[in-house]
Amino acid sequence: MATTITIDPLTRIEGHLEIEVTVDTVRGVQQVVDARAAGKMFRGFEVILVGRDPRDAPMYTQRICGVCPVSHALASSLNLDQAFAVTPPDNGRILRNLVLAANYIQSHVLHFYHLSALDYIDTTGLLDMSPWTPRFVTPDMATGTTASTLVSHYVGALEIRRKAHQAGAVFGGKLPCLSSFVVGGVTQTVTAEKIAEFRALLNELRAFIDNVYVPDAQTLGSLFPTYYNLGVGNGNLMAFGVFDLNGAGTSKLFSPGRYTDGTAYALDPAEITEHVTHAWYTPESGGAHPADATTVADADKPGAYSWLKAPRLQGQAHEAGPLARMWISGRYTNGISAMDRIVARALETQLLANTMDTWLDELVPGAPVYVPSAIPASGVGAGLTEAPRGALGHWMTIADSAINRYQVITPTTWNASPRDDADQPGPIETALIGVPVADLDQPIEVLRVVHTFDPCLACAVHMVRPNDRRGGARVLLRPSVG
Amino acid sequence: MRISRRDFLKAAAAAVVAGKLGPAALARLQEVLRAPGGPRVIWLQGAGCDGCAISFLNSVHYDTVDNLLLNTLDVQFQSNLMAAAGDLAVSAAQAAGTQPGYILVIEGAIPVGAAGNYCRLWAGMTMADAVTQFAANAGYIVALGACACYGGVSGGAPNPTEAKGVGEFLGGDSRLVNVPGCPAHPDWFVGTVTYILTAGHLPPLDEHRRPLQYFGERIHDNCYKRHQNCGEPNFAEQLGAEGCLEYLGCKGKHTYSDCPIRKWNSRGKDEYGVNWCVGSGSPCLGCVNPTFPDGMSPFYVYLPAPREAVEDGVPPAKGKLEVRRVYNPS
Repeated sequence: MATTITIDPLTRIEGHLEIEVTVDTVRGVQQVVDARAAGKMFRGFEVILVGRDPRDAPMYTQRICGVCPVSHALASSLNLDQAFAVTPPDNGRILRNLVLAANYIQSHVLHFYHLSALDYIDTTGLLDMSPWTPRFVTPDMATGTTASTLVSHYVGALEIRRKAHQAGAVFGGKLPCLSSFVVGGVTQTVTAEKIAEFRALLNELRAFIDNVYVPDAQTLGSLFPTYYNLGVGNGNLMAFGVFDLNGAGTSKLFSPGRYTDGTAYALDPAEITEHVTHAWYTPESGGAHPADATTVADADKPGAYSWLKAPRLQGQAHEAGPLARMWISGRYTNGISAMDRIVARALETQLLANTMDTWLDELVPGAPVYVPSAIPASGVGAGLTEAPRGALGHWMTIADSAINRYQVITPTTWNASPRDDADQPGPIETALIGVPVADLDQPIEVLRVVHTFDPCLACAVHMVRPNDRRGGARVLLRPSVG
Repeated sequence: MRISRRDFLKAAAAAVVAGKLGPAALARLQEVLRAPGGPRVIWLQGAGCDGCAISFLNSVHYDTVDNLLLNTLDVQFQSNLMAAAGDLAVSAAQAAGTQPGYILVIEGAIPVGAAGNYCRLWAGMTMADAVTQFAANAGYIVALGACACYGGVSGGAPNPTEAKGVGEFLGGDSRLVNVPGCPAHPDWFVGTVTYILTAGHLPPLDEHRRPLQYFGERIHDNCYKRHQNCGEPNFAEQLGAEGCLEYLGCKGKHTYSDCPIRKWNSRGKDEYGVNWCVGSGSPCLGCVNPTFPDGMSPFYVYLPAPREAVEDGVPPAKGKLEVRRVYNPS
């Protein structure tokens, strides 16, 4: 007898998410047989941006997401660099990398300790107060010394993620929501004092990452080895690539690419299409590249169950995130699963922190950080980069020196997408299938798998009218994005 | 335990009012607050980006966030941090809401379009419904960040979701304090909550219900960028260059906050931040203003200063209760 469990709100993420799973017993194991994810907020950024000064885009789009504002600022800035036909000087490019990387560390540390770890620890006797009580307590959770160690690291990680933000602010101006990224580079100049301040903080971050975070992630893997076989998804991965290593952006620390049906391919952004068969949009809203797409809502469309379009690469669902980046750049090959996402994220953090040290060496105090430019009367731009939680794309057209059109596809749009025109489910939906649920009242296994995608639902960017056609009671799969 | 804390807070509040509460007493207050439980907080997040919650995690100047969470505040609902999910989380919120006297923190705007369905916190509970319900028993209401205070970017033109700030939504409320900013500085929030807990009432506010302690002085008047040539006008030629950024879009003449002194991302306890918007060579966006973002943008275009504030150092008289330097420039 199948049972439907709704987890609403799904907490310890960014934004508002509902997860609904259908649980049944298959081959003697009670497990998820179907899954739906639903985002519950629409803010209309694409509408708000139209008609504004293009130079303001990095400041506006950062406010899509308070966890990864730097990624939106960067995507917007790359977008503008292209439309304004300007290339930032090396200092500007490196400063963008350093601030972005500092925020990756902030986000990954926050994700592991503060958003995820509580799924695996029985904190009884350790955190017997709000907001950590009430909580799920299941027999498979870590107890004793492991639990108390992880809780102490949870507390220590609060300080570390703060210091990561502090480092980012040295060159970003402030965090969250930096001030210094603009078209043509960065406005923060480079001095020896600034480099030294950043490096001192980086050294603290590296010590924590090497001695605490990476070992903890590996410990979690050894304590919960079954999660190397759960939450696998469809195995397709994609990355736009990030951290430019040269001015042309042709060399990146994490290369762009896709991994489809077990084979690596070059990424061709022209192969992105958005599917709407199961989304509440008119048929004309689908089948196009995001830069050309129209978006007209149809709340009564038969067969639709989501406010999110389903972006696909070469017609196939692909997962975005740290595992995808590490896999496509050849740095992680252990496997694709829930636990592999956690471990790859930790290893990516370590790689980044080590690389940041060399970037600091490449900065030239006093050298230019920024190239002034004028607003073009018209232009087209694309800003493809990576947020901590996966591929992020901004597309823009300028007309009459103002933003005429702005489209954003965030990582969670890829990961939480609904079924597409060929009825292929999105990555999170696929990953939940087969996940055992021991206790229907405490579906902790579902939380664990969903959290490995680090979903971020704050930004519903499509131009939708989410009138709840069922009177607000229960609407399946309306992932907004993030 | 809870009763003794309440009694102590009452005594401490009286002492503060009488001007008798010194550093030693404040230290004792901290000790008492560190007992299990503590002042209760319900934290709702509407149409926003969770950036103010992330900013709160950066708190260290007045107190570290771990000390605040573990030993000071009893945060009974906060969806980014709480262990519970689903029905368990909802029941925690509902139970907390039945006991009057908590501090209600509201982050994000309240969209009222589409019958509130642009933002739902859980099944059957829109943000608008939640603010109405949880405001009923709140002792104090803290609107945290530009969106919660005045609509912010979420309410940017054409405001497709009809997003409102708390004050507009509730129609004026004597329990409300606005702590704006995009995001809000953690010190502004932690300092305001600390004031409420120790004094037992809201701090002195300006006409936009912002604490004067943090929003009492004009950014331009405290900005070192324009003082580098000993009072000579010194205007930057381009972003990132030294000199005043007014003509490159800086809204520092329109904006009252202690950013130039406090700065952002504090180095440690009682220390100030590593940088700030103007310090990084970029204009002030005026993000603490009720008219942010529409009235403050385009961000990189000169906005003539309001007539009453054109003269340097002479603040507008309108609504100003008292202008005094709270922090010494470092």
